[in-house]
Amino acid sequence: ALRCTTGNVEQVRGYYVNWRMLRDVKRRQMAFEYANDRLRINAIRKNTILPKELQEVADKEIAAFPRDSCPVRIRNRCVMTSRPRGVKRRWRLSRIVFRHLADHNQMSGIQRAMW
Amino acid sequence: QRSFSTSKAISKESEESSAPKTGEKEAKVKEKKPGKSGKENLLDLLSAMKVDVTTKKKFQASKSQKSKEQPRVHPESMESATSMFQKATTEQQTQKESLSPELVAAASAVASSMPFKKSQTESELLQQLRKHESDTEVHRKGETNNIGNIIADMKVGKRPNARSPNRPANQIRFDDDGRGYTHDRGVVNEFDAVRRRKSLFTGKRLNIFPSMTDTTETEPKEVSVPSLWDIELAGQIAAVIKHLPRNGFEEMIQWTKDGKLWQYPINNEAGLEEESDVPFHEHVFLDSHLEDFPKQGPVCHFMELVINGLSKNPYLTVKQKIEHIEWFRGYFQQKEDVLKESEVY
Repeated sequence: ALRCTTGNVEQVRGYYVNWRMLRDVKRRQMAFEYANDRLRINAIRKNTILPKELQEVADKEIAAFPRDSCPVRIRNRCVMTSRPRGVKRRWRLSRIVFRHLADHNQMSGIQRAMW
Repeated sequence: QRSFSTSKAISKESEESSAPKTGEKEAKVKEKKPGKSGKENLLDLLSAMKVDVTTKKKFQASKSQKSKEQPRVHPESMESATSMFQKATTEQQTQKESLSPELVAAASAVASSMPFKKSQTESELLQQLRKHESDTEVHRKGETNNIGNIIADMKVGKRPNARSPNRPANQIRFDDDGRGYTHDRGVVNEFDAVRRRKSLFTGKRLNIFPSMTDTTETEPKEVSVPSLWDIELAGQIAAVIKHLPRNGFEEMIQWTKDGKLWQYPINNEAGLEEESDVPFHEHVFLDSHLEDFPKQGPVCHFMELVINGLSKNPYLTVKQKIEHIEWFRGYFQQKEDVLKESEVY
């Protein structure tokens, strides 16, 4: 990819497995940015004390936030292969990569189960 | 790990002294909104107050304003706390000095306003505060004091040097029974002569190096703010010196310096060192930030709930909590017209 900064044309190479992973990264960053605002506006919305008109206004405000800012859109992909399914949360790896590394003794404390 | 839920401790203290009254007090809190945010002389006010007027809320408000008005805890009192902790078993009377005088005055004022057993409530309150101070000090200083005490008590054990064999050193040693090797003495015997000196510092001075005092005096005179050129030069030197990591250990060291790897043993409060200096009452008593909000109505109720929740949150810094409150202030000021339509603001 080429990116223009101050008129110099430079090549920019990333280290993400695929574009889907990149988009997921962008969603995470944006969710982090807007986290506080979303929390506060939701605190106003999910309320029985404040007047309903204010809550409706808050509803419209949160709908106006960019779509990528909500944390629900984040998908825990595998870190090595960007696989969206079969990912164990503790290691952030898909089952296939996990098995590969564990069999080659790269995972500390992981042993084949036998009982 | 510390948690900032000291509101429970404080409520426990007040409950100790007046257990049957808490039910009535909580009912009265809901009826009367404490509108006294003026900066009167609180000690006089507290002592003049009667029982049915004092509520848990006012105790908190008075305590927060008291501590906010006067300067922070002095470092001398903190140091005295650690030294008192070391001699905790012997000197209990002097422990009163470890608390800051403002806290002591506030505690005595509150105790005098309580109905039963003023001296007992005061001593209990002071005890709780002292315990809290000593606990935070222990957390901060770690276990260093105890280890120092333990090591000081241990005695150095001496192993008696095995008597050197009685043949002279330059005589050739040979194996008697044809084993092919002699009994290996090791390097120990060579250092025997050196070790026989009682300590390092006996013996004649050689006067090769200049003495310590001259070098240490000249150093502190030349401290100045490093300029950009100095920073650049330091960066260049570091880049030249830095070698690629030869093995996994060096790689991990480099990553730890970069911040990519956590520091072991894991410190739960790794990025939050400055936060531990913030005293607990700034986390818990957030009423003072509520001054620009309306005193009655749903907005006030909502902000009280917000403050209640924030005071129980141990994961946020005080700055973050204040930012939350300020955002709400700005938001309600923006939506004034909407709120006025529903006659709330």
